[in-house]
Amino acid sequence: MSHLSTTRRGLMGAAVALAGTLALPRLPHAQGAPIRIGTLTPLTGAGGPYGPVMVKAIKAVVDEVNAAGGIAGRKIELVSEDDQTNPEAGVRAARKLIDVDKVVAILGTWASSVTTAVAPLCWDSKTFLCTVSGADSITALPHQGYLVRTQPNTTLQGRKFGEFCLETGGKRVFFISPQTPFQKSQFDNITLAVKAGGGATGSLIYDDKKPSYRSEVDEVLRFKPDVLILGGYQPDTTVLLRDLYRASFAGKKLAFGYSVNQKLVESLPAEVVEGIFTISPSPAEGSKAYERLTRLIGVANPDPYTTQVYDHINLVVMAMALAGEASGTAIKDNIRKVSQAKGGAKVDNALDGLKAIAARQPVDYDGASGPCDFLDSGDITDCRFRYEQVRGGKIALVKVA
Amino acid sequence: MVAYLLFALTLGGIYGLLALSLNLIWGGAGMVNLGLAGFFAVGAYASAIVTGAGAPVPVGLAAALLAGVAAGLVVTFSTLRLRDDYLAIVTLGFAEVVRLVALNERWLTNGSDGISGVPAPFKAALGIAGFNLFYLALVSGIVLVVWALLRRLDGSPFGRALKAIREDQELAGFAGKPVLRFKLQAFAVSAAVAGLAGALYGHYQTYISPDHFQPLITIYIFLAVSAGGVGRPSGALIGAYGVVFFLEATRFVAEVVPALQPVQVAALREMLVGAALILVFYLRPQGVLPERIPPAPRMS
Amino acid sequence: MSVLLQAILNGVMTGTLIAVPAIGFTAIFAVLRYPSFAIAAYVTVGGFAGWFANSLWGAGVLPALAIAFLVAGAAGVATEEGALRRLRPAGALTVAIATIAANLILENVTRFLFGNDLRGYDLPLRPDLRFADLRIGPQQIENVLLAILVMAAVFAFLRFTRYGKAMRAVADNIDLARLKGIDPQRVAVTTLFLGAGLAGVGGVLLAVDTSIDPLAGARILLTVFAAAVLGGLGSIPGAVVGAFAVGIAEELSLLAVPATYRSAIGFAAILLMLTFRPRGILGERAS
Repeated sequence: MSHLSTTRRGLMGAAVALAGTLALPRLPHAQGAPIRIGTLTPLTGAGGPYGPVMVKAIKAVVDEVNAAGGIAGRKIELVSEDDQTNPEAGVRAARKLIDVDKVVAILGTWASSVTTAVAPLCWDSKTFLCTVSGADSITALPHQGYLVRTQPNTTLQGRKFGEFCLETGGKRVFFISPQTPFQKSQFDNITLAVKAGGGATGSLIYDDKKPSYRSEVDEVLRFKPDVLILGGYQPDTTVLLRDLYRASFAGKKLAFGYSVNQKLVESLPAEVVEGIFTISPSPAEGSKAYERLTRLIGVANPDPYTTQVYDHINLVVMAMALAGEASGTAIKDNIRKVSQAKGGAKVDNALDGLKAIAARQPVDYDGASGPCDFLDSGDITDCRFRYEQVRGGKIALVKVA
Repeated sequence: MVAYLLFALTLGGIYGLLALSLNLIWGGAGMVNLGLAGFFAVGAYASAIVTGAGAPVPVGLAAALLAGVAAGLVVTFSTLRLRDDYLAIVTLGFAEVVRLVALNERWLTNGSDGISGVPAPFKAALGIAGFNLFYLALVSGIVLVVWALLRRLDGSPFGRALKAIREDQELAGFAGKPVLRFKLQAFAVSAAVAGLAGALYGHYQTYISPDHFQPLITIYIFLAVSAGGVGRPSGALIGAYGVVFFLEATRFVAEVVPALQPVQVAALREMLVGAALILVFYLRPQGVLPERIPPAPRMS
Repeated sequence: MSVLLQAILNGVMTGTLIAVPAIGFTAIFAVLRYPSFAIAAYVTVGGFAGWFANSLWGAGVLPALAIAFLVAGAAGVATEEGALRRLRPAGALTVAIATIAANLILENVTRFLFGNDLRGYDLPLRPDLRFADLRIGPQQIENVLLAILVMAAVFAFLRFTRYGKAMRAVADNIDLARLKGIDPQRVAVTTLFLGAGLAGVGGVLLAVDTSIDPLAGARILLTVFAAAVLGGLGSIPGAVVGAFAVGIAEELSLLAVPATYRSAIGFAAILLMLTFRPRGILGERAS
């Protein structure tokens, strides 16, 4: 009964809150009023394993900035919505963030479909959008500058995967992946790199909702690959790795840093994951941002999405500070001035950035996911890749290149 | 804020069409369609593909209606003679197959990238605010027309025959009604309306993808129809607008229940949707607008 | 040839994973006459219960199975008594829809408690054994044996115990059963406990083979339905036969159809079966 009444009170409260937001005019630009920033990450649905820790990283930065006095005396207020890994729900959530909360920026859209669906709302309403989605088509949208993406595009990634396979001595490379927006271009670019080195490639697209992939693994083995590239996400890759182990697959395995991450390694027996190589976008070696992030959220090996949203929030905060104004347009006009100012002070977090900006120094942010320098299209100009390997249940750094 | 309201009302109208579609077969003939999301998708893709090839938007809408009918016939063909639970299971599977086809047949649907740039009628001429108003009017107008047509159908001999089938299929058969043909027709019309809703959604959002059409939306529509009153087109409509309001209102759970992780808030919101559906079944088994059943003629 | 044999072997192993929850689903259908979509959540709940026992108390597979059976069974009875029972007079279809809502609630309860992360059981994983060109996993052999054991127990329960006999009587003819003095309500509770419990056992078998997360049950739901419909809704031996048929069909199809359409195979099987033999392989009636 008490549960019921809480629910009812909750609903009443919700209704009142909704009515309240409808009735009261907001004064978002008044001096001292908080600046609202939205997160739109998957908390339920297929992207569920990723979204929660992304929000955690953003929240940690916001708390830090607020503790240090906010942006020009204004606190940041974070509004977190769930995109349910579904563009239909994502659009509803984005509408609410934009029209009701009047956020200046939306951070962290994950699924390419959600980003593509939400992007038009953002540029129409002059709200800034930072995304981690991989589909090449996203930065080709007519976004008028209101979008940046920190995930390297697939041309770059595919080539790196292919070249790394050759480096490890592989000549027969097999790519196994679920149907994703970047699967085809990924495979094409891997093939290009591997063929240039005199190797051969094969691929298989699987259904990512199955409890076992035994026959798929049989097909992989028939190709006799030296290197197998796993293109999936965490849940399906878990299943696939077990079946590969059972089939005594002896070749090398290569995966995205977001699928073979700390959590996956912990959820599988050590011998199943031993020796897997992973590739993630990364800053140059010695960058402090990555270490800072690991301390901030208490995760030893944050996955690439987490490193990227950490950069999103830092950049957005600094861009607004530099502009002296909190709006999507101000972020759009200033983000490149804090991410890549020529000869600017190298900073790896918003707090140092805010100090530099207050001292009227130019700023060049180097983040946890890479140098974060953007082309006009919103894509990053370049990034290093962090090559890691699972050794004895830990993810160990091989090299950054 | 105005933009948000316009959006919610437009979406309410599109959900309303889906609710009318479900109400026709569920309230009308006692059949359920657990694959509404699939029919929604079929319509959206049909119109996006046809208009993408250069046809004007009205032709796209017509294509969506036809595609809906075709999909409806495929699904009902092998199940109509069986108990209604079989239809429920088949429709659920159908939605999954539609999603797989949309995901994998790149040549037709552009695969997991989805189709962006679906034409939004008059958006360039009207501007953003103008378009939002225009589209709300368009959707509301179409909803009104469909509602009026379905209401007439409800009271027509066809509608009464459907209800007879719902109450007792065998009896209706003995009474000489062509039960199978009526059910087939009802399902086809219902699927067409769901397809139309999909097309309207696609042209409104200008982007569709396989991810859009997940089973959760089917649950929302069941909630709408049962809350509004199964068997009453007006009830289904009221329910649909109510569901959009409810879904948006649950966002504020986060403010009411502090100290929860965002993922827990998200889980709570989905629990509320499920709980609402069961509560509606309990508290108002007839919905807001109970079905009007004409009194039986008195024997004197 | 060995390719074909290997695919069939793989299919048998997939089939055993599906068979146990399919029995649960079909048992509930046989007695209560509604298709329970909440079976997906019972699978997930069982998988998590087993995981909890395994990682917290170091329970092995057998105790994990027992705990999963109890917890999922209790969840099933609680759902039925707390939410579904009062809806029975409104008809099977209403209850079926309510089970979708119940499924959504239970799925999110596990998400609320455990988050979205994948959880693996702390059990050793062994490479496959090889016979000539064929390979088969010791874990899978164990799973097959466990599944067979569970099925044998179910059959023995139905044939030899008072409750089992009562369940069969209610499934055959509820009015006749009532005349014989059987209380349908008690039978319903027993069935729910058994059905949901079996789904939970299936969840552990699935999780031992792969891992567990809030969507684990939802991912296999369609295949479970396909197995039950193929075998004939309401027929327990049918569910077993159907599960193997669907499992083998899915694996064999990979030789001809792109792997990404694997989920569609179950649907195609349902459509074909309903068109040509609606009562399923071993079912009795369908209309």
